[in-house]
Amino acid sequence: MNRRTLIRTLSGGTAGIALAGCLTQDDDENGNGNGNDTGNGEENGTDGENDTGNGEENETDGDDETTEPNLEGTLRIATYTSMVDGEEAAGTWLKDAFEEEYPDAEIDWTVPESGVNHYIQQANQGVDIDADLFFGLNVDDLVLVDGRADESLFRSVDRDALEHVDRIRDDPAVEFDDPDDRVLPYDTGYISLVYDENEVDDPETFDALTEEEYEGTLITQNAQQSDPGQAFLLWTIDAYGEDGYLDYWEELLDNDVRIIDDWSSAYSAYENEERPMVVSYSTDQVYTNRFDGDMSRSQIGFLEEQGYANPEGMAVFEDSEQVDLANAFVDFVLSNEAQAEIAVRNVQFPAVADEHVDLDESYAEYAHEPPEAVSLTYDQLSGNLDGWLDDWGQLVASR
Amino acid sequence: MTDLTLEGVSKVYGETTALRGIDLAVEDGEFFTLVGPSGCGKTTTLRTIAGFEEPTAGSVRFDDREMTGVPPEDRDVGVVFQNYALFPHMTVAENVGYGLRFRDPPAGTTREERILELLELVDLAGMGERRPSQLSGGQRQRVSLARALAPEPGLLLLDEPMSALDARLRETLRRQVKRIQSELEITTIYVTHDQEEALAISDRVAVVRAGTVEQVGTPKEIYRRPATRFVAEFIGDNNVFEGEVRTRSSDELRVRVSGREFDIVPADSLAEAGTGLESGDRLAFCVRPEALTPTVETNRLSVTVETSEFLGETVRVHGRWNGTPIVLRLAEPPDADELTVGFAPDGAHVVELESDARGND
Amino acid sequence: MTTGRPDGGSARDRGRVRVHVRVRDWLERHALGLIALLTAVVLGVMLYLPVGVVFAEAVFVDGRLSLAHFREVLTDPFYVGVLSQVFTDPLAIGSHLAALGGWILAGFPSFPLGLFGFTAYQAALSTVASLALGLPAAYVLANYEFRGRRTIRSLTILPFVLPGIMVAVGFYAMFGQAGTLNAILGVVGLGPYPFIERNPLAIVIVAHAFYNAPLVARITVAAWESVDVRALETARSLGASPRRAFVDVVVPQLLPAVTTGALLTFIFTFMTFPIVLALGGLQLATVEVWVYARIQRLAFAEAATLAILETIVSLALTYAYLRYESAQAGMSRAAAPPPRERLFPDLRTALEPWRLAIVGYGVLTLVVFVGPMVSMVIGGFTDGGGFTLRHYEFLIRRQTEGASYQTLPWPAIRNSLLFGVATLFVAMPMGVVISVVTTRSGREGGHHSGRWATIIDTLAMVPLAVSGIVFGIGLLRGLVFGIPLIGGWRLQITGVVAIVAAHAVAAYPFVTRNVSPLLADLDPALVESARSLGASRYRALLDVELPLVASGIVAGAAFTFAISIGEFSSTVILASGGETYTMPVAVERYLGRRNGPAIAMGTVLLAITGLSFVVVDRVGGRFERD
Repeated sequence: MNRRTLIRTLSGGTAGIALAGCLTQDDDENGNGNGNDTGNGEENGTDGENDTGNGEENETDGDDETTEPNLEGTLRIATYTSMVDGEEAAGTWLKDAFEEEYPDAEIDWTVPESGVNHYIQQANQGVDIDADLFFGLNVDDLVLVDGRADESLFRSVDRDALEHVDRIRDDPAVEFDDPDDRVLPYDTGYISLVYDENEVDDPETFDALTEEEYEGTLITQNAQQSDPGQAFLLWTIDAYGEDGYLDYWEELLDNDVRIIDDWSSAYSAYENEERPMVVSYSTDQVYTNRFDGDMSRSQIGFLEEQGYANPEGMAVFEDSEQVDLANAFVDFVLSNEAQAEIAVRNVQFPAVADEHVDLDESYAEYAHEPPEAVSLTYDQLSGNLDGWLDDWGQLVASR
Repeated sequence: MTDLTLEGVSKVYGETTALRGIDLAVEDGEFFTLVGPSGCGKTTTLRTIAGFEEPTAGSVRFDDREMTGVPPEDRDVGVVFQNYALFPHMTVAENVGYGLRFRDPPAGTTREERILELLELVDLAGMGERRPSQLSGGQRQRVSLARALAPEPGLLLLDEPMSALDARLRETLRRQVKRIQSELEITTIYVTHDQEEALAISDRVAVVRAGTVEQVGTPKEIYRRPATRFVAEFIGDNNVFEGEVRTRSSDELRVRVSGREFDIVPADSLAEAGTGLESGDRLAFCVRPEALTPTVETNRLSVTVETSEFLGETVRVHGRWNGTPIVLRLAEPPDADELTVGFAPDGAHVVELESDARGND
Repeated sequence: MTTGRPDGGSARDRGRVRVHVRVRDWLERHALGLIALLTAVVLGVMLYLPVGVVFAEAVFVDGRLSLAHFREVLTDPFYVGVLSQVFTDPLAIGSHLAALGGWILAGFPSFPLGLFGFTAYQAALSTVASLALGLPAAYVLANYEFRGRRTIRSLTILPFVLPGIMVAVGFYAMFGQAGTLNAILGVVGLGPYPFIERNPLAIVIVAHAFYNAPLVARITVAAWESVDVRALETARSLGASPRRAFVDVVVPQLLPAVTTGALLTFIFTFMTFPIVLALGGLQLATVEVWVYARIQRLAFAEAATLAILETIVSLALTYAYLRYESAQAGMSRAAAPPPRERLFPDLRTALEPWRLAIVGYGVLTLVVFVGPMVSMVIGGFTDGGGFTLRHYEFLIRRQTEGASYQTLPWPAIRNSLLFGVATLFVAMPMGVVISVVTTRSGREGGHHSGRWATIIDTLAMVPLAVSGIVFGIGLLRGLVFGIPLIGGWRLQITGVVAIVAAHAVAAYPFVTRNVSPLLADLDPALVESARSLGASRYRALLDVELPLVASGIVAGAAFTFAISIGEFSSTVILASGGETYTMPVAVERYLGRRNGPAIAMGTVLLAITGLSFVVVDRVGGRFERD
């Protein structure tokens, strides 16, 4: 263990004090030159000299457009676990490739346990946001941010600063519909059914799921805490409308649907043949192929010839002092090479149009795209999501 | 060694009062016993002396040193408990030596020597390596005594040390304790509910009742001249008569009890009872069984025999006279259901009339 | 020696020695007080502060004290079922009684329980199941000698450290239609049975028993091993049959431990969270599920309201139990445990009905406890195509090639073990001191101090009675983000010390609950003897009491270690961004679109913890008298 990690281990990132407790003084932003030091006090201890350099630069940031963009220093990117800890994690490739292209820059991945909620709470409590960019934002996250954060958390996209921004395909599957244009997608995925063709046929429609043939066959996830579970719920709201989805779920429940906590447990139940159908991702066969699984148990069912799209996006924090570097990273993510890597490593679909990404032919063999992508827009979710989840949860739990 | 003073010591737990102003003065080297029925406060008194309880009011002094607030470990006392309280996970020697971890053995001896010395003192030489569970009750109590004595405490406190033992063992151990005490000349406070034990072993006895000291005196004084009816009845067998003074001369009283008149010469006890008795006053007097015999011709009364116990040397007879319970000591078992006995006027002892019950405990 | 220092120096040395001795004396004298003070500080900062930060949200509406949130919950049939009518109109006693009467007259039809009612209902069932599975284990472990008894006793609490998701994976792999059990039954031509599908509630309860029966067993074994066999012999000599002597003598001595186990189980399963949803589904949702859902949506006031109500239920139960316990205490007991019989001395005895019943029970424990764990482990060695080592290769590759910002297996193992040991050093004194304070003041003095002792004892159980989710969010908002102080300063507590303190806070109630009943049963004269012999209170505790309650201490230590190793929710929050992650955190982070890597890490977790339990028990066993 080198000194740097030792200090971190002892004090959880607080420089130089071998105690857990620490007192820090909030920086009042009218700082002069070195005022930034306390602002990212946590970082200074670990990163040494780099910080002071860009502290000076940031003084003029955004005021003068002719200034050369500052592309050195540390970029703190918040994301979710599998981005850095998964097998063949996209995060490791992104870091290495980006740092190679920008030798003065360093990416510092951080994985807050509660995702974007972490930053909403920091903002509301008046604590300095300890990240520059959020990588892995869904539409519903954005709705939550806007519903709960006291002030704006993310800044609008500076499209002029992004070379590749126009490559993003024109498709509801990658659309955030953000009125403030804060998020850019980097990939997308589709929620679909995964079923065992030895046991059941593709139900093809939502209505079929309520029929006797499919009684006791479906596993889905708790929409209150699971992404695919929530996507499936939203899909039914898209299909039956705000006024009709609860009736549909009544029927689903009557037909003995199982609603298991999270995707892992649900898939575990499916793997152990508890039931022949599970709500999952349309890329399931990629994994089945990778793990030598049985393809007949990895059939993809697109209900109503649709899949519910769950685009993943990135946004720069309002208070970031590394906006130039963050924009450079965003642009890098949308590059041809990065799009291909992310798609393969994340097993998702690229956010850019086909001509801007070179994907292996074989990728399409196992990663299926639905004929039609559906998703609820920011406007549809905004102000409604909490109520929908609540009503749905109460309906299920009171049975 | 140490002399001990208790002044106005009282102890209140929530709504119950255990001690109501205990005053005691125990002299250096004295064997002093607290006796009383269970729940009377004698054990609480002892625990207050040991420092296990802090008094609610009053003071405890060792050689004029105020002990309030001094923790037990700094009081330099040795305590022996009824249930031995030996440390089951230590050997006998470790038990005896435990106090020597905190206080140095007497000058000139090592810890090991001191342990051997004490084991010898209590006749347990060679038992050092045993575990308490391998010993008999009497042996355990002796280990407990040796343990308490090992650090040469100024004060030895014994809380009903014999009551878990059988009668014969009790007597042997009693003698042993007394011998060791006089050998070491250690100030000793002994708590017991057994009045016979109290009389047998003590230099002085305090009879405790409902949180107060009823009487303090030598065993002889307590037995011969009980100050109160309670003491009269608690210490040894006694016959208590309650009546009304009919006439009074300088040294003699005529008392009417249940329609019968008795003449008594109360000697100095009249003064102790603290009363200027006049005719018409209520009064109680007691007559020990050994003073109530068929051969005495004065103050005769006829007793209906109920039971008799053969005690070897004597026979104890329980009976009744006009409803008053009577206990007699005879040489031979009575051969009739009725027995006429009498007592000499100076065989009676006037005691304080029972004031109404003082406590509810 | 002629090279010695001049006299002045050695005098100064002597002076220094004297000062040293005086300091040591002073420390020893005040050791208990100091530890109690430290305990209070740790609890204040690591428990009451963070939890208070969140709980405050429930009672303040727009900065003013208000019970509006509680009224909302208590009058909503969704939460409290039929009781909502009572809370809506608490004074309409007549109509409530009439409703009750009508219900009785109608022959006790089922009625809506509400979320709280159902949560309590499943917790009660889980408690019964845990007792049913745990007590026989305690009986066998305490009364029979067989090869591996000590090891099995050490391993009993292994299920305790398994992350919920791994238990779910294990249960599906064991009881699923394609699971191990059906595979075994298939060999003899039976099945497959849809064990989980047929009755999800039953399988949730079995899973709760999987967690909690070992707890019941471990606590009860500790008490059983300090049963006074002489009392048993006395009863037998007085003519009691073995059965009668057991009921009259052993049962009363075990009851406090059994009730403790039942209470802890109830509280745990009342607060259950991942297991219910992972196995039972949302239809079996408990209050904690709703707390989590609220927190996810950042609706803190509602989450805190529910969590406070949960805590009230748990603490009320704890208080009731502790009143009962203190009424039971004082059976002075010098431990002389019963000798253990050989389980299978010879073939003939082995075929006695009683021994066969024990064997039957053994098979049951294999199915319920070993089955899911083994099935999970097997899962780590398979993929779609059969046997594979790829998941372990992943671990090795991650360790050798992983970047520093990634979660690596070895640091996770190392941290887990370090935190576990460190937690022992913090939680044991905390738990023991609370035991001493509460049993001592409960014993001395009258009714009032007894009640106070019970209240302190109850408050000491708060870590178990508070929603883990609320605790976690409180740590984040309170300690990780920092508490604002005057002058723009913030108090922040994160990193190793915070993690160890949080683990200790979660673990010490187990020490207290294991030690207290045994301590209360010790003859107070033992301590008094020691003290009159010159020992300070602290020395008396160390020399006399602790050795006599060693079985409880060792059990407490085992739990403490297990809690620390298995702790997830606060660790992951306090470790966020650092390199202080532990094995359960690694398990969670390795979860991907197939469970293999996480299972492999889970297996490592099981193996390492199992090994450490054996070591803890062996080391601890030296202090226990056999």
